[in-house]
Amino acid sequence: MIYGAKQVIRYLLGNDIAGRSLAVYPDDTFIVSYPRSGNTWTRFLIANLIHPEQAVTFANIEELIPDCEAQSSRYLKRVPRPRVIKSHEYFDHRYRRVVYIVRDPRDVVLSYYDFQRKYRQIQDGYPLAQYVRDFVGGNIGSADWGTWGENVGSWIGTRLGKTGFLLLRYEDMMAEPERALVKIAALFGIETETQLLATVVERSSAQRMRDLERSQGGEWVSTKNKRQDIPFIRSASPGGWKTQLPEVSVAEIESAWGPLMTRLGYGLITTPGDGSARTQTGGEETVYKPSNSGLR
Amino acid sequence: MIKHLIAGVKRGLRLHRPSRSLLIFPDDVFLVSFPKSGNTWTRFLLANLIYPEQPATFANLHRLIPDPEGTTKRDFDRMPRPRIIKSHDCFDPRYPRVIYVVRDPRDVVLSQYHYHRKLKKIADDSPIETFVTRFLAGETCAHGSWGQHVVTWLATRQEESRFLLLRYEDMITDTALEMAKIVKFLGITASSEQIAQAVERSSAGRMRKLEQAQTDQCDLTKNSRKDLRFVRAAGSGGWKSELPPAMAEKIEAAWGPLMRYLGYELSSQSSSSLGDYESLGILGSATR
Repeated sequence: MIYGAKQVIRYLLGNDIAGRSLAVYPDDTFIVSYPRSGNTWTRFLIANLIHPEQAVTFANIEELIPDCEAQSSRYLKRVPRPRVIKSHEYFDHRYRRVVYIVRDPRDVVLSYYDFQRKYRQIQDGYPLAQYVRDFVGGNIGSADWGTWGENVGSWIGTRLGKTGFLLLRYEDMMAEPERALVKIAALFGIETETQLLATVVERSSAQRMRDLERSQGGEWVSTKNKRQDIPFIRSASPGGWKTQLPEVSVAEIESAWGPLMTRLGYGLITTPGDGSARTQTGGEETVYKPSNSGLR
Repeated sequence: MIKHLIAGVKRGLRLHRPSRSLLIFPDDVFLVSFPKSGNTWTRFLLANLIYPEQPATFANLHRLIPDPEGTTKRDFDRMPRPRIIKSHDCFDPRYPRVIYVVRDPRDVVLSQYHYHRKLKKIADDSPIETFVTRFLAGETCAHGSWGQHVVTWLATRQEESRFLLLRYEDMITDTALEMAKIVKFLGITASSEQIAQAVERSSAGRMRKLEQAQTDQCDLTKNSRKDLRFVRAAGSGGWKSELPPAMAEKIEAAWGPLMRYLGYELSSQSSSSLGDYESLGILGSATR
């Protein structure tokens, strides 16, 4: 009840987190990805690209490219249009222009594991193999985003090849950030010069972001009050799973999402399965009780 | 501000519609479809199947198979579990188990056209051509386009045991057979007599009679034109005679591969490949 009253007051004041109830405008652009897929880096790249007059930091990123899952409805309403908004949402048909970043799920799970330790959502010694099982089965407390396969599938299935949708692979962006920027600039309809691109990449480098996190991590909405001994900006390199992920876990991920991974160019090293690693239910009999309220 | 205050008081009394704030339980089953795809009929079938002690009507439907957009929070709180909940939403990862009803988009567009006339959203002489264009762009309802809606569910949940895909057309052809699939999916026991009774109580004839008597007691029909029916033809393939061929072709051009995948024969020459759907591997490996 108290919780309910709090919700009501928050809603009345417009202090509720925008999230899925965000009021979307037709000229909005969204940077969307599953969590831990390079979204923050892309945010820095895009903010540095469209606001070259100032270097982006964790102190101003929420003004330049606000996070609709961390900021309130009221805050987002006051952001000058056209807005660029960061989001982890699964498919939302109201999002007209979308940069979607996808990353190898075998790396995503490792990054997510560290992230949830940083957020004190799991203990340091939580078994990694169990964590991967939770990740594949949609049990890591991220019901808001769906599983990796659900989030990616919902966007790619509906929007790939359509105008206003740019799919970027994190791995390609790491290899050639300038090339990714040229595509992004084309989506935004802005001119790019080689010199500017170099500055943008430089201002968004992992090293610079790490330094910024060290000095501003205590203030930024996404790292405030979280463990400071685990960095938000991690290794920023693809393929860590090859040495860090147990083979049985690799097999579970590939079994769940093999076809989608293959389509995205993430080569499989085990035999793809039938998706049986995903949530399966059934077994005991269900009994539907008479609906008393319906009798009135 | 006044609007916000009223909303606040409603929330305090639990008279608001929970919408997305609905608390979802792991034993919930959601009955999902794009609007005008047989959702209300399936709701009647389900209600009459699992609550045989009281025939479903337009007046009690929102308490038997509740709707987060139409049933109040208070009624939701009184519902016994497990629940079956109606929804028109695109993919939502929180839905633990889903019965998804899909219908030929060429029939859906006609049904939606007539429903919009009934709701006084468009005039009687409003050209179907304009409506089809808006339908394809996903502008005729708040749930995206038909193609997007279907794909978000198929791309995420198909081939999982917690997802049951039903075609409206199959339900029309052999209702009992599709009901048996539902029975199995829900994990309940029901004799063929019980299924037959549920089908009988959900017939188009009975639903039409109920609609006439209860039109003002149901959110679906309240404040709409009384000279047009909510329960319409209750058939499939009406598009063949009612929809201009050029419009059918336009729909097929937009969603041909997906329609073929679902077993909806195309009237026009269309690319024979399933295009992206196949290569994505997200619509299952087998094609029908």
